Amino acid sequence: MSETALKLETAPGPLRSGPVVAQLPSKLFAAMIKQADAERRLTVLEIGTALAETVDFFSRFHCRLHFCDLYSESFVHAQADLSQDELRQGFEAQFRFPSGTSFDLCLFWDFLSYLDDPALRAFNSALRPWLHRGTQAHGFGVHHLAISLENIQYGVKDEETLTVRKRQTAQMRAHPHSQIEMHDMLDCFKFERGLLMPDGKLEMLLKSTLANSRP
Amino acid sequence: MAMFDKHKASKESSPAAPEPREAPPPQSASAAPAGSPDKVAMIGRGISISGDVTADSNLRIEGVIEGRSVQSSHDVEIAESGRVVAGITAKVVMISGEVTGDISGSEKVMIARSGRVQGNVVAPRVQLEDGALFRGSIDMNPAAEAKPAASKPSALDPGGKSKAESPQVSETAMGGPRKDSGLSLKSG
Repeated sequence: MSETALKLETAPGPLRSGPVVAQLPSKLFAAMIKQADAERRLTVLEIGTALAETVDFFSRFHCRLHFCDLYSESFVHAQADLSQDELRQGFEAQFRFPSGTSFDLCLFWDFLSYLDDPALRAFNSALRPWLHRGTQAHGFGVHHLAISLENIQYGVKDEETLTVRKRQTAQMRAHPHSQIEMHDMLDCFKFERGLLMPDGKLEMLLKSTLANSRP
Repeated sequence: MAMFDKHKASKESSPAAPEPREAPPPQSASAAPAGSPDKVAMIGRGISISGDVTADSNLRIEGVIEGRSVQSSHDVEIAESGRVVAGITAKVVMISGEVTGDISGSEKVMIARSGRVQGNVVAPRVQLEDGALFRGSIDMNPAAEAKPAASKPSALDPGGKSKAESPQVSETAMGGPRKDSGLSLKSG
């Protein structure tokens, strides 16, 4: 058994994903996939639950998918009580990927908007070693800081369509960040493109700021 | 010698441990592929094994296996009541129960809606049914799918055609060689 299997102390929770409640057109996810080199083996990190449609979508690629459902981690829920260093250690414990892993694509979805400032900095610090200069990321931020985030999870139906399901776990407290704050705290990425969405969210395509090449 | 007991509580006091048995003819697609005459070795419900399991036939697990590896040159199915804490290597792996360990399928790995898996999966094709719980990584290589992966059809793959196989001689948990469905056990 690999270290990855052994370090997972708890079995997946009893809550299974709810049904798809909506479909969301996504131009920037499509843009990210188009830029990815499909001829090369892709290494993908998803911060979220493994959903059937996402696995099915990526099955057309030669790829390795890593699912890291940080939404269910207790240290994330307790972020207000933890120091940035403790949070970094928490993320690092979750990011013990096999040696040589370097992500080409990261799928953050809404997760960044659930991290307060120290947690976002800690997340950035823990993720940095697993990125390279060609890493791209997709996620959602907010255009208006007053927006209330829905407790949802995303999947990938096709290149231009995401699926939306209601998350079965408790809603976490939202910490929406402005684009400038995000740029400051998530400094291993820069904004490549942003797209305003009707509900006040900001769809983001991010690109790595790191100089190291892919191993 | 493998520990091969029906009830964990009576492990020490039960000298006559149950043997792996051949499953009855498939009753439905969920138990085994309909119409498949393939031999299926079964770890039945209530049976608990501590150790490694190797099968030369299809293997259906309704009980519990805790060890390092479960290997089959054919297909492995973990039923809803089945629980495996070990790595699994087979041609097709279908999981309706619970697995903690890495899974390698030379053709396909499928996690059904009732399945719970934590570990790393490597297979040319991986399918998650809606509702399946998965934690870990999935390594897929669609290019490998185009290659002729195996000469024999898969029993668990609904698209596969079945073919009868001769029983094979193997070493069992009880020590002696016996003619059975090709299941062998090794203590962990």
